[in-house]
Amino acid sequence: MSRIELKDLRKEFGNTVAVNDLNLTIEDGEFIVLVGPSGCGKTTTLRMIAGFEDPTSGQIELDGKIVNDLEPRDRDLGMVFQSHALFPHKNVADNIVFGLRMQNVGKEEQLKKLHEVSELVRISHLLTKMPGQCSGGESQRIALARTLVTEPSNFLLDEPLSSLDAKLRRELRAECDRLHAELQKTFVYVTHDQEEAMTLADRIVVMDLGEIVQMGSPIDIYSDPVSYFVADFFGNPAMNLIEGEFFKEGDGIEFRSDSFNVSVPASYNNMTPGKGTFGIRPENVNVSSSKGDGSRKIGLVEPLGKDTLLYFETTATRPFVAIVDGTESYSAGEPVELTFPDENMFLFDSNGDRIRS
Amino acid sequence: MAMTLSQKRQTFSVFRYAILTVWLCIVAFPMFWMVGTSFKPDREWFSWPPVYITENATLRNYAIVWANINEYTKADGAHIDPKTGELSQYTQSLQRPWTALRNSTIIAGLATTLAVIFGSVLAYGVSRHQILSESRMFQLLMLRMVPPIVLIAPISLWYRQIGLLDTITGLVILYFLTSLPYAVWMSKSFIDEVPREMEQAAEILGASRWRTIWEVVLPLVRSGLVATFLFILILTWSEYLLALLLSKAEVLTLPVELSKYQGSTEGRVYGRQAALSVGITIPLVFVGLIIRKHLARGFSFGMVRR
Ligand SMILES: Nc1ncnc2c1ncn2[C@@H]1O[C@H](COP(=O)(O)OP(=O)(O)O)[C@@H](O)[C@H]1O
Ligand SMILES: [Mg+2]
Repeated sequence: MSRIELKDLRKEFGNTVAVNDLNLTIEDGEFIVLVGPSGCGKTTTLRMIAGFEDPTSGQIELDGKIVNDLEPRDRDLGMVFQSHALFPHKNVADNIVFGLRMQNVGKEEQLKKLHEVSELVRISHLLTKMPGQCSGGESQRIALARTLVTEPSNFLLDEPLSSLDAKLRRELRAECDRLHAELQKTFVYVTHDQEEAMTLADRIVVMDLGEIVQMGSPIDIYSDPVSYFVADFFGNPAMNLIEGEFFKEGDGIEFRSDSFNVSVPASYNNMTPGKGTFGIRPENVNVSSSKGDGSRKIGLVEPLGKDTLLYFETTATRPFVAIVDGTESYSAGEPVELTFPDENMFLFDSNGDRIRS
Repeated sequence: MAMTLSQKRQTFSVFRYAILTVWLCIVAFPMFWMVGTSFKPDREWFSWPPVYITENATLRNYAIVWANINEYTKADGAHIDPKTGELSQYTQSLQRPWTALRNSTIIAGLATTLAVIFGSVLAYGVSRHQILSESRMFQLLMLRMVPPIVLIAPISLWYRQIGLLDTITGLVILYFLTSLPYAVWMSKSFIDEVPREMEQAAEILGASRWRTIWEVVLPLVRSGLVATFLFILILTWSEYLLALLLSKAEVLTLPVELSKYQGSTEGRVYGRQAALSVGITIPLVFVGLIIRKHLARGFSFGMVRR
């Protein structure tokens, strides 16, 4: 049983508030992903949990015990660093058994665990190499093995895959998932990559400017973002977000912008008119052959096989994107009609907060 | 005809080796001359045209300097001045190269070891815990920029007061203090190269602070510290001014001994000086050979792969 609780956790560096009164409970065995843009305080949060940074204020509890003053090695944690931080002067096997040696585990036991863990992360063939001779993906596995072998209750991983290329990332992402499923330990995983967060997390914690913006399952975050920021951050291609203004039109509300005018569903009739943003995910845009006015010309067609992306020029810097089935054929310049289902519309006010129906 | 890229590279590399060779010759020439002179008989020291490689090689210079033997030595070992037939003053002053060697070894060895140990501990504190601010670090270096001559008067007065004048301890302390800034600066540059995350990885795996330093930091900076050691050893080994002025009679070091090889009657005795110089240089070369595998890495100032 192991539960990590952060209470009003705060960290200031001079005038910078890196982490701003964070409250978060991480349950035993949970795979939690801290995600947010670079500089939002993810690493600092993780390093405070690990004990490498002293909080300016607030508490860190492990299993209900305050551990603020505990040394990192006494916190029952394992950490995988972004840089891997392998010891360059020790070979792979010595790197892996380092933690066991520090805990005065016997020689035989060390060997047994070394072989178990190297099977687990599939690096048995590397044991006599030096870290300098290993590739990025191999180093990553070694770093994982070095942490796994000491069997901590909680794993902290700081952007462990960010230095790898796309294919390896996907591979090792699956590996992380498998390890978590096998070990049933708590994983706190930091990344700035929304895709990693979506695929790995039991629960996603979205951070911005040192604060938690939203927490929830990947599907919650995706389908019910609380703000412009979250809506924009998750999804690839990203949600279409169009700046404009909401006007009162008789009983209803009408959204107007340079490129789109949309009738807002009646359920929003009580909202306050004013500047804001209209959002719709590319996969929710309905595309049909044009009949009459209101038609739009396709700017660019990007077939991806299963799906095809259609791009439309707008006055904003980002083109408007629609996803259609790969079997439908469109060509650039072709006029089409775009419609948006009521239930898939997202409205945000001028502060970026979600307007709810 | 235009050159291909690989031809260009080759030309460049030939050019580079040519420059390096010329440079090596310039640097090595004094050493060649020193070794050569040490084997020359007296008349060839400044003969014209110069003798580059003597055909009358002799060990006489070495014998006189290091074994205190020459044709004027009487059976009982006393030295006779060849001109006056008296016991010679100057030969007597030449009688102590082994004492000087012993003193230099103790003084330079001890001061350098202390400087590297204290310096690296201090540097670790500066690198990891900012125990000295940036400006303090520069002040430390500026301290070393004070010309030694400025220090002489106050220090010799003070040393006389506390009884350190003309003692080995006195010189060790002084050499230790004057080389400490170098030791701190140099070893800090190596410690800075070791990523903090490397230490933190060890720490969270259960290593104590000392264990982390012993198993992770030290192996990674070892070459750097060895390079620092040699650098400071060369400085202290060949230090002359402070040694000359702070040791009157008792504590003679090699550079001071070297300066005494000029007789009032014969002028500079170059062959003897060369023979002594060779003897002074050999220990340094020897130390360099022992630690040579560290030097290339240490002096490249970028040994740790990130
Ligand atoms: N040691 C430090 N000293 C000063 N500022 C820091 C330090 N570490 C982090 N910061 C600042 O704190 C903020 C959060 O940093 P960090 O936690 O590293 O963000 P992230 O990991 O989400 O990219 C940033 O503005 C960063 O500049
Ligand atoms: Mg970070």
